[in-house]
Amino acid sequence: MTQATVATRTEAARKKGQKRLQHSGLPWILPAMILVVGLIYYSVGYTGYLSTLDWNGTSPTVKHVGAANFVQLLHDKVIRQALWHTLIFYVVTFTVQTTLGFTLAALLHSKLKLRTLHKVIIFVPTVLAPATMGPTFRLMFSADDGIINKGLRAIGLDSLAHPWLADPKTALPSIMVVTIWQWTGMTFILFFAAMSQIEPELLEAARLDGAGNLRTLWYVVWPGCRGTTIALAILGLIGALKTFDWPWLITVGGPGRATEFLGTNIYREAIREYHLGYGAAVSLVLLVLAVCGSILMTVVNRRSTK
Amino acid sequence: MFEARRLSSKIFLQALLFVLTVPFLLPLIQMVMGSLRGAGFGNYKAVWNTGVVPTFFRNSAIVAVCSIALVYCVTMTAAFGFAKLRIAGKEIYFWMLLAALTLPEVVLLAPLFATTMKLGVHNTLVAVILPLAALQAPFTILLARNFYEGVPSELLEAGRIDGAGVVQIFWHIVLPLTRPIAAAIIVLTLINAWNSYLLPLVMLISPENQVVTLLPQFFVSEFANDQTKVLASAVITAIPEVLAYLLLQKYFERGLAAGALK
Repeated sequence: MTQATVATRTEAARKKGQKRLQHSGLPWILPAMILVVGLIYYSVGYTGYLSTLDWNGTSPTVKHVGAANFVQLLHDKVIRQALWHTLIFYVVTFTVQTTLGFTLAALLHSKLKLRTLHKVIIFVPTVLAPATMGPTFRLMFSADDGIINKGLRAIGLDSLAHPWLADPKTALPSIMVVTIWQWTGMTFILFFAAMSQIEPELLEAARLDGAGNLRTLWYVVWPGCRGTTIALAILGLIGALKTFDWPWLITVGGPGRATEFLGTNIYREAIREYHLGYGAAVSLVLLVLAVCGSILMTVVNRRSTK
Repeated sequence: MFEARRLSSKIFLQALLFVLTVPFLLPLIQMVMGSLRGAGFGNYKAVWNTGVVPTFFRNSAIVAVCSIALVYCVTMTAAFGFAKLRIAGKEIYFWMLLAALTLPEVVLLAPLFATTMKLGVHNTLVAVILPLAALQAPFTILLARNFYEGVPSELLEAGRIDGAGVVQIFWHIVLPLTRPIAAAIIVLTLINAWNSYLLPLVMLISPENQVVTLLPQFFVSEFANDQTKVLASAVITAIPEVLAYLLLQKYFERGLAAGALK
């Protein structure tokens, strides 16, 4: 079929489709538009206005400070730290989750015993609320009572026992471990679904050519899951930028600011310290990063699928 | 994916799976063990006897049901409009929704805090429900529109010839066809509403208005940081979630997986 005929056909189909339901759809999308535009666009616009203020949110005195909040932001060491934490956090959690999720998905596609039980165990953390698990993790990583240090001592590795959350060096890695615990289930489910789509003939052919398990995985299965990996990379980046629950629940951004993220910083500034203007300015930075992140990833995605 | 012909490699793969899965259980073991230290089941009794647990659960249920209802209504109507009806500048509206897809909720904190204070709805459940629904809707609309595009227009045409109005077509023909996608939308919204922590943390101040995600924090002050009772309260909150997942496994996995791919 030539391109012209395709064009006329779709044109005809479009016209036909239009003829079918001539009713205006505007009233149908109106409730959704009111909800989303009224709340989100309003809030984003209001954030822009707030970012030029020095205001605590309730007092009648509102001071206009122009770009002062943004100037302060540029010199704020905590923001730079938070950005750095976000980057390391993203790279590490994405790499580990992808490796683990992919391996587990491949294992559960093999003929092994108790597959459903394993699947449930891996996926349960995804369903549980971080807020519910927060106290457990504070205990788990604690110096004396935690299951980790107790276990290390039990097998004679006393020297490795450590106050994980009190040491700035191990606090951020601990938060990463918890995040990986929670999200590997999701990574796993997506890879599991992607692997079901790979044609058995391809695997069969690889085996006939004498490829072993690892070779088949690397040359057939892994490329077959490419779309999923890219989707997970986007998801992980946005997730890293959004990070709030775990660091706030487990370490409150500390010790010092060792686990501070943009999210915890905005909450601390805007709500805890009543610096609404400064919190709004940091929010705008986060918003711009999130938008840039998703555009960048979409572009990469388009290019790689071409 | 792995093929094991020899017994030794079969055992190796089974062991590998076991070793990789056990760490996922450790926090749950720690939670239950920690909650039973000291007074044992007395910890659970102490938590239950405070009498506040049902209140927190009731509030979470209200938040979940209202956000689901709101998200479901706006999603189903909007997706129908976008997929099957005539709208001038349709794609512009659609892009306006898509732009909100990756918005981190923390960005809304400062303006929502100031606005709810001004309107006097701070410390009410509405202040949590509306933002939750607004953050959820763009994605569910995208999901539902893709699904609606697959509904053959001939079906709607048949309805029109039979003299049905557009509302009747929507109600009697379209809605029954969209049950699979509705299930995903409901489960996704349920989990996000039930597990949401940041918005309740900012909006809900007094304990009689708080939701289950704020329960551990409430007991930290109630029991002067007695970890065993805090953990007992965490177990009580976790049990319904785990049960719901076990009963609706397929829907949870599908709903969350669909939600992940935004």
